[in-house]
Formats: sequence, structure tokens, C-alpha cells
Amino acid sequence: MAWISKNWTMSGIIKGLIVTLKHVLHIGNRPTVTVQYPYERMKLSPRFRGLHAVDENACIGCGICEVNCPNGTIRIVKHNTRWYPQVNIGMCLFCGICVDVCPMNAMKMTGNYELADYTRESLIYGPDRLLFNKEVKQ
Amino acid sequence: MGMIANAYELIIYILEFFGVYGPIKNIFQVLGIEFVLKIIIVLVEVGILFVFVLLTVMFLTWMERKVVAMVQARYGPMVTGPRGLLQPVMDGVKLIGKEDIIPEKADRWIFTLAPFIVFIPALLVFIPIPFGQSLIISDLRVGLLYIIAISAVSPVAILLAGWASNNKYSLMGAMRAVAQDISYTIPLALAAIAIVLFTGSLSTVDIVNAQSGTWFGIIPKWFIFLQPLGFILFLIASIAEMGRIPFDFQESESELVAGFFTEYSGMKFAMFFLAEYAHLFAVSGIVVTLFLGGWSFPILPFVPPMLVPLVSLGVFLVKTYAVIFFAMWLRDTVPRMRIDQLLNLGWKIMVPLALLNLLLAGFLITVWGAF
Repeated sequence: MAWISKNWTMSGIIKGLIVTLKHVLHIGNRPTVTVQYPYERMKLSPRFRGLHAVDENACIGCGICEVNCPNGTIRIVKHNTRWYPQVNIGMCLFCGICVDVCPMNAMKMTGNYELADYTRESLIYGPDRLLFNKEVKQ
Repeated sequence: MGMIANAYELIIYILEFFGVYGPIKNIFQVLGIEFVLKIIIVLVEVGILFVFVLLTVMFLTWMERKVVAMVQARYGPMVTGPRGLLQPVMDGVKLIGKEDIIPEKADRWIFTLAPFIVFIPALLVFIPIPFGQSLIISDLRVGLLYIIAISAVSPVAILLAGWASNNKYSLMGAMRAVAQDISYTIPLALAAIAIVLFTGSLSTVDIVNAQSGTWFGIIPKWFIFLQPLGFILFLIASIAEMGRIPFDFQESESELVAGFFTEYSGMKFAMFFLAEYAHLFAVSGIVVTLFLGGWSFPILPFVPPMLVPLVSLGVFLVKTYAVIFFAMWLRDTVPRMRIDQLLNLGWKIMVPLALLNLLLAGFLITVWGAF
């Protein structure tokens, strides 16, 4: 019975009720924090590491990214007479080492994080899906 | 409008207003089956009540989720319909579509019967609740007694459900529910009796009429101002009787999976769910009727008499939803008590305080003379 004789005014409950009411009425800095994901998206950091992208003109196909990839995600494959990296997203850990080691700064990471797919084969992103052309974009 | 006592007479009044009551009555009189007309009208008013309660219950499930969400800085249901308003419909469709599982070792007949025994009293409670002036199914002279008696059926049904499920969690939840209901019905009834001392009548309409008017032209004559202690006791006891947080021992999900409806699924689960929210609505309506003036409001005398039933219905609903919001708000704020704390609170504090409140009420009446 000690708990009730000490708190017979129920001040704790009333304080709690006031706090929750402030949340209901959005008094003070208490916004609704949920993001309705498929309809609206959170703002990503510019340093977000999502799906890779390779600059078609800058890449020299040197294979340094292939060598440095800790999971062996990247392979260099031939695409339209030139050599470009091919990334297996299923193994990638999005560490960004390939971006750091690229001597031509051709490898980028985009903000695309919706990479779920139905088969393991479709997780292998060949140059046809990774390449972008800087001149065209600018 | 003064002589229209209940919804039956209101329906007849409306029919007469459109001039169709006489011809209809003649047809039935010629056939010599006038009682059939009475039965039809009663069925219509009960049907309207049933549909109204079910719609309210659906709205309440949506509202509960929205209030919880707002407290927790979320949106709650948003996808189905505008602001997720059709979510209860989708939930209903989902529950109807689910498989109705009866456990192998369960007592099949009682297991099937229990949801109905929970659900039907939850609807029957609405009969003597005045939703507005002349908007009452039946103004029973023992209305308050009827309400308390009907609410006392639900622990039996909960115990049936818990026992028939043949599951330890169900049985523990049911036993807790019964212990809780029995210990909190006493302060509930004692707080209600204090009101009866003032009105001298168990009829809910008389109780509401006693609360119309004002003191000094400002303060409405609601019993909450005469009986603040009684109001708090009644509110706590009714929240405990509903089995809502902080007194949700019958289904405390972190301890007993879901309490007495652990084994229920599909439509039977939906019936427990509906009964819970119907009970919430009914109990809030009773709190409003007893302590917050029911449908009476100081502006009502200035409303044109034709509109009084509608306006009083609006007043009643606003007050009821305020009480419901309080129950939801409390649910989102406070944690669950312990079962021993619950029984201590019930027997050692609520019952003595309720008796003290009864004494105070009697004292007030004696000192003030005729109320």
C-alpha cells in the first residue's frame, strides 16, 4: 500500500497524461515522424551508398575495384568492345571501397536502395545496367 | 415533443408527421393483426440501434488505432479509405475470411457459445441508455439496475471462454477477469447508488432530467459537480470492468498470450473484439448519463423543439466520445498494474472510498433538504 499512500494525488499519471496529450495535439516540437514509404521517401544523405554506377567514358577497365572488393563482388566483363565492372549485388556489402580505389573516379554509388528482386541471377548487375554517360547527363 | 417518451413513440410521431401512420395502421387493423405493426416498429428501432452500435464500434476500432498512433508519433491506418477510415471494414473482411479453428481438446459447445454470451449483453446494455431526448429504446424503471445486472453477465461468459479453450493462458486470463470484475462491480454499483440517492429513481431518463438546468445560470447541474469522488471512482471502476489498460489483466499480452481469447480465431475472435468496443461505448455512455448530464446541455431549452432529439443526440455523442477519448488516452499513457495491486486498489481503497462517497451523498441530501 505504500505506493498509493505516497502517490495518492496520482501526479505521475497526470504528468504522463499531459505529455501524451501534447503528442496528440502536436504541441511543441512533436511532429509525426512516420514516413509513408511507398508514397513518400526519406531524404537520403548525399553520402548514401546504394547501387553502383559507372561512368562510361571515365572507366578504363583496370580491374582495381575487382581486386579490392572484399567479397569478390565485382568482375570485369566485356561490354561493347570495352571492359567494365559487373557487380553482384547479392554479395555486395556496400562498403564503398571500389569507389575509393578507382583511379579515374569512374565508380559512384547512387541513392537507389530498392534492390530486392525475384532471382539471384537478376541481382547481378552487368555494365548495361550500371553504366551512365556523364556528358549526356550534364 | 414533451410526451414522446421513447424511440417507439418517436417513430410513430415521424410516421404521423409524414401522414403515413394512419393508412398503415388501418391496413393492419383491417387484417386484425395490429400487434404485427408494433413488432415491426420495435424491430426497426432495434435494428437501427444495432446498426448504429456496430458502426460506432467500427469507428472506435479506427479511432483507438489513430489515438495510439498519434501518441506514438505515428500516422496509424492511412491506406484504406480517406485517412484509413475503411480499415475496420477490411479487418472485418479479413476476420470473416479466416479459418475458424476449434482446438481438439476444447469443449466445443461452450467454446462456440462463449463469444455470443459476451456479445449479446454488450448490445443489450444499450436498451436503457438515453441517446437523446426521446431517443431511448425503453425507459426501464429499473434502468440502472438492469445495466449493472447485464454487465455482470460478461465475466461468466469470459470464464466460459477461458475454461472451454482448455489452455492455461486462457484459463488464467479468465480467472483474472472474473476476480477483477467482481471486485470492481462493487465500487461501480456503490458509486451509481449515490446518484440514485439524489434522483430517487433508477430510471436513466429521470437521472438525465435531474441533471438538466443550471446552478446560478452558469454551472450545469451535472452530478460530477455534486459527486466528484463518485465520478472518479465510477470512471476507474468502469475502466477496470472494461478490462482496459491499466487494468487489462484479462488479456495482458506480455504475460498471457491474449488471455481468454488466445485460442479464438476468425469470426469468434471478431465477436470478442466487437463486444469489447461495444462495451467501451456503452460504459462511456453510462458515465455520461450518470455524471455528465447525459444529453442535457444548458443550450437545449433554446433549440427549436423539432430539432431537440437531433441536437441532444449530438450532445450525448460529443460527451461520450470525450469519455472514450479519455479511456484511450489513459491506455496509451500508463502501464499495466500488477494483479495484487489491482485487487488491493479495488478492495482496500475503492470500496471504502465508495462507501465514504455514499455517506457524503446522504449527508449532502440531508443538509440541503430536498434536492
